[in-house]
Amino acid sequence: MHTQAARPLTDVLEALREKGLRKGVGPMPGQVDGPSISTGHPRLDDALRTGGWPRGSLALLDAPLGNGATSLALASLAACQAAGGLVAWLDLEGSFDPSTAARADVNLEWLLLARPRDTGEAVELAAWLARTRLLDVVVLDLGVAAVASRTLSRLPELLTRFGGIVLALAPAARETVAGVAGIRVMLERRAWLSVGRDVVGERVEAIVARHRWALAGASTELDLWFSEGRRVDALLRSLASPVAARDLEHLRPIDQQPALRVLSA
Amino acid sequence: MIDARLLALVWPDLRLADADVAPFQPMLDALDDLSPRIEAVDVGVALVDITGLGALFGSERRIAARAAALAREVAPLDVRAGIGDNRWLAVLAARLGLTGDAPLRILDRSELPQLPLTLLPADPATRQRFSLFGLTTFGQLAALPRSAVGAQFGATGERLQQLARGNDPRPLVPRRRPERLVAERAFEPPLSDVGAAGLALRALVTELVDRLRDRHLAPGRAALELEREDAAPLRIELAFPQPALEPDWIARLLLSRLEAAARGSLPNFNQDRPRPPDRSSQGQMQAQELGKSMPHSRHRPDTAGPNRPKPAVVGVWQAGDDEPGDDEPQDEPRIVGIGLAFDRLSDPQSRQLAAFEPQAGRWEELRWSLERVRARFGDGRLWRAEHVRPSASLAEQRSRLVDIGP
Repeated sequence: MHTQAARPLTDVLEALREKGLRKGVGPMPGQVDGPSISTGHPRLDDALRTGGWPRGSLALLDAPLGNGATSLALASLAACQAAGGLVAWLDLEGSFDPSTAARADVNLEWLLLARPRDTGEAVELAAWLARTRLLDVVVLDLGVAAVASRTLSRLPELLTRFGGIVLALAPAARETVAGVAGIRVMLERRAWLSVGRDVVGERVEAIVARHRWALAGASTELDLWFSEGRRVDALLRSLASPVAARDLEHLRPIDQQPALRVLSA
Repeated sequence: MIDARLLALVWPDLRLADADVAPFQPMLDALDDLSPRIEAVDVGVALVDITGLGALFGSERRIAARAAALAREVAPLDVRAGIGDNRWLAVLAARLGLTGDAPLRILDRSELPQLPLTLLPADPATRQRFSLFGLTTFGQLAALPRSAVGAQFGATGERLQQLARGNDPRPLVPRRRPERLVAERAFEPPLSDVGAAGLALRALVTELVDRLRDRHLAPGRAALELEREDAAPLRIELAFPQPALEPDWIARLLLSRLEAAARGSLPNFNQDRPRPPDRSSQGQMQAQELGKSMPHSRHRPDTAGPNRPKPAVVGVWQAGDDEPGDDEPQDEPRIVGIGLAFDRLSDPQSRQLAAFEPQAGRWEELRWSLERVRARFGDGRLWRAEHVRPSASLAEQRSRLVDIGP
């Protein structure tokens, strides 16, 4: 006669918790578990050697304006949400565009948008949100505002304690933020990606310039798409072919061009 | 063993399709003074367990008259009552009372055999088969062997036969009245302003939270009333995103809304600054009048009598607006008393989370944390974006930001 072995009570409770019954302790259903959260780009995850942004880290996306830092941040948020996480965007200058985020596959329903009044409040707000332990990734978009290093000094410690991840976008205060950030990823545009005459993305080189939890120095190339996010037609990637910069001046007729062009930046 | 006695009350006016059923629940609340076991069978139909109440209120007729009087205090509606040994007999008696002139009908089992079978809750096909077999009264059906009825009419027939014999095993299921926890303080001498009431508010919150913590319950809503000298009482209501047992934060949130409501109730502020009505849906501070649901005001002696000022209807106030004291200094009315009530009590650890949206449960929890962020940083900081016209040519028309309200 076949009998099923009785399961220990703790296993039964754990199984119930995983199905959605919360007992007040333990992870919430859908919580993004694991020591790191994907950047949205597997090649960058590999380059970081930690499988993504490690929990408890302040990461600086170090790039001049227009070099893909925002796109990379949006991709990270989308990847986090796809894994069941909650995310927030601290928009100091009011430049956040929801439609751009939505096109990058960010679900606006589970995105908290905060608009602090100044840099100090932005950092403090980031710390408050990290303390909730409910937000997996917070993007701190400081825009062109300057920030004092004293303002940022406690943020990494708080993040380490509460396990949050803050991605800092600070093109005007790169060196200040880099002084306290545990991770510094430098982005440099290598090429534009275009379909016909329309620029649809850019190819950037991501260099892990600093990594507190792993070996730094790795680099990789990322294709950042402006409008279609991760839904970009897979066929376009296969059609990508490098085009020399001189071809920019002598564009062939549209019907003779490949669907996707990689134009030297 | 004491035989059960049930009183069925039927309000014919509430049984109509287009009836206003709002008085039904208050009438049931009023009946709580008569018996602790009351079941709302349907809209306009209630069952009251009156077993053993004779020693308190007298005969069954007097009990029924008292129940009708209690209900009539809430709404002057015509009511029919029936008393029986079980819920079937009680409701049947009330139904029989609908056709007669007497408001109360006490049904005895000896009357059952003469009643027509049309009173049984049977479907038309079963009724037709009853008539084909020549069965027209309760007595004829009750006299048949149970096995024979079961063979012809199945389990439904057996149940109907039991009803025809006056047997109904279904127990009365008393309703659970929403619990409300109340605490209040009076100040003698009165306090100078709202801010001074913060300490008392904190003490009240701690007292109620301690009482709830012992019972493993947490409130889902708080209602606060501030009695003011020579001014209308201030009443605010705060619904928590989730059941909360943190007295410090509950007190802080209530106090911040109370101070905002006090500023908003000053004459210069309310009359000179009209506000668009749609702001209330965007999550700014809202102060609501609680009316008679506040026990604090019900038990407090009405010293001002009919000339007592009406409660302040406080509108919507936003942190970005001008402060009311810009034009001229305003004297705040002194505070003579404070009352706090918690309701929507539930077990904070037994919440059901959404099964298919992994973020939904956490977002609800996050909303509570965002309340603290709002209390710390003020309004206008936290937003959600939503699509409006995703295909619009202008980027600013594709989406909009919605303030995350309390």
